[in-house]
Amino acid sequence: MVNGMEGYIVSLIIFTAILAVFGLGLNLQWGFTGLINFGHVAFMTLGAYTTALLSSIDIPWLPLPLQILGAVILGATLAAALGLLIGFSTLRLREDYLAIVTIGVSEIVRLIALNEEWLTRGSFGIQRYPLPLGQFSPNLPTRLGMIAILLLVIGIAYCRLWQWMGQQLQPISRSQLVTSLVPIVGYLVSLAVLIVGIGLGARSLKAAANLPSWVLGLGLLSAIVGTSLLYAWLAKRFLLPLAARTTALSLVWVSILSLLGGWLTTIAAIALYHYDRSPTKNGLMWIAVLLVALIYQALQALVRSPWGRILKAIREDEFVARALGKNVFWYKLQAFMLGGFIAGIAGALYAWQLTVVYPDNFQPLLTFNAWTIVVLGGAGNNLGTILGAAIFWAYQSVTRFILSDIIPLDDARLGAFRVMMIGLLLMVLMVWRPQGILGNKEELTLGR
Amino acid sequence: MVDNPSPQPMDHPSTEHPSTDRPAQRSKSDRTFDANLPPLLSAQDLCKSFGGVRAVDHASLEVPQGSIIGLIGPNGAGKTTLFNLLSNFTRPDSGDVMFNGTPIHPLPSHQIAQLGLVRTFQVARVLSRLSVLDNMLLATQNQTGEALLNVWTRSRQIAKEERLQRRHALEILDSVGLSHMAHQYAGSLSGGQRKLLEMARALMVNPKLILLDEPAAGVNPTLINQICTHIQQWNREGMTFLIIEHNMDVIMSLCDRVWVMAEGRNLATGTPTEIQTNPAVLAAYLGQ
Repeated sequence: MVNGMEGYIVSLIIFTAILAVFGLGLNLQWGFTGLINFGHVAFMTLGAYTTALLSSIDIPWLPLPLQILGAVILGATLAAALGLLIGFSTLRLREDYLAIVTIGVSEIVRLIALNEEWLTRGSFGIQRYPLPLGQFSPNLPTRLGMIAILLLVIGIAYCRLWQWMGQQLQPISRSQLVTSLVPIVGYLVSLAVLIVGIGLGARSLKAAANLPSWVLGLGLLSAIVGTSLLYAWLAKRFLLPLAARTTALSLVWVSILSLLGGWLTTIAAIALYHYDRSPTKNGLMWIAVLLVALIYQALQALVRSPWGRILKAIREDEFVARALGKNVFWYKLQAFMLGGFIAGIAGALYAWQLTVVYPDNFQPLLTFNAWTIVVLGGAGNNLGTILGAAIFWAYQSVTRFILSDIIPLDDARLGAFRVMMIGLLLMVLMVWRPQGILGNKEELTLGR
Repeated sequence: MVDNPSPQPMDHPSTEHPSTDRPAQRSKSDRTFDANLPPLLSAQDLCKSFGGVRAVDHASLEVPQGSIIGLIGPNGAGKTTLFNLLSNFTRPDSGDVMFNGTPIHPLPSHQIAQLGLVRTFQVARVLSRLSVLDNMLLATQNQTGEALLNVWTRSRQIAKEERLQRRHALEILDSVGLSHMAHQYAGSLSGGQRKLLEMARALMVNPKLILLDEPAAGVNPTLINQICTHIQQWNREGMTFLIIEHNMDVIMSLCDRVWVMAEGRNLATGTPTEIQTNPAVLAAYLGQ
């Protein structure tokens, strides 16, 4: 049981990390620079294929880890070069042209991967390419060292999170904190109890009565939607006014996330301790977490610099940036290419997670998952993007288990249902928190 | 000016000025420019057509170093288009623009700004979701941190430059009375404050010439006075201005020389007093 759990959490962390890196690339392009990229997956495809192909070439004089590293860097560079190509031809035009062209390019890239069989082996896929740390069998001190580095990174992340909270929180008195905590906690607990209750009720109904499954499904759906709507109304009527006065709501969120994160970190550490149980996955998890941290750090330095200020200026009004002597086209190109580079790295991680790359792995849906993540977390907020990726994958995996118990549908329909629910959740988010989870509401109310 | 709310400039082309309500009269001894120097900016025979409309038709313009030059004309005369041509936001069909001895009409607009010719916009454009201070800092030229790789490799130098520029920006903001808003979003500024921010931001570029497109439009009389005072102050410190303005009080009190445009062509040029009594100018404004 613990083993299965461990493996599951490890792959959850890997997927989250991949999506986080992928989303960070899009966030740089759209969140900071305002470039609409609907073909983000193209960069990932290039990164994944290049990494897989180049690392499986036999080069005797080159140590394998270096070869893999070189393959990743080359893959990401190729992705950036694709960005240069797209950008050079469209960035001078209005932004909607970029959106159309990127969608087209991502499909072209996927179709090339599907059809150029001499290179990509088409739908047969590329298999048996070496994985990073695949042959690695660390001794106890090395493993402890890896765990220590992981904990250090997570610890720094926590510091950043709390620091950010500290900047957001208004000083509030203790009595206010308690009064606002009570309804919020009560609200969350009761909503959870209700949904679990509905689920359990449905389960026993399924066992007891011989209802046709569509009646049961419809009833369940309406019960859940009804409850959610009722609760949503309650939240809007009573919870939000309170939450507006204090930021206790975000305090609760951060507490929950911190607890969850702590739990995940513990499991990740345990997994690293038992490294040999699944060397490739554990190694990949370690690499992926470090990469997220590294890329996040590098991007934060960028967006806070004068360079990032120019990107934000372009997002707001590129005429102003031009009038103040900034080469708008060149900065857009840089942002687009760097975003592509990062997505290329995400592609390498994705290839390692999959262990076999097929063209079908790179459907346009991936692009829109990245968009969901960026919007969910708050555009122009890197921390939000990472949080968005975590929430997105938590949702994906939780619903995979729970929904099949609650809703009597077959797997394919459930899959579609889950995507549909994401759409619904996004709409709800857009109504109540259009700026995303970590976004700044004030920014939306500003006039041009 | 409160008694005379109409922006139509040629309502009463008299030479006497009610002295208290209008912007402080420019004392002519303040002039810093020398008419014998070659002009800082000169445009020759600029043309621009949009479809069949000749928006700018063989227009010329000269701005001497250290002067304040006015550009007036009825609505649709092509003043803003001329501004766009000078700063190359719109590419001229024909004609030359020389700035500080360099032909600038083949250059992209950001390079023109880098050479020291900065424009503002008719409707003030601020970067709403950036702070007022960030709006100012953006305008700084030649920042080390504007190059991608420098951000990672030369962070200490960037931090040092930022500290210096921040102090400089706060000084300018202080002089226009916006320093208390420095850390607010620029989008939360009022219309008049946006105009001030736009001018302050143009100063941050450390330019040789600032093109102001209707600095007093939609601004209350007190703030107009304030804006005029600032322009005079900056001009005394050596800045050259070219100003489009419909408010004749502003033009009369600020400008050393006025160029008049109508239907895309040069109509007249002269001192403000000459222009006010020029029959062709009056005819253009009154539509005869």
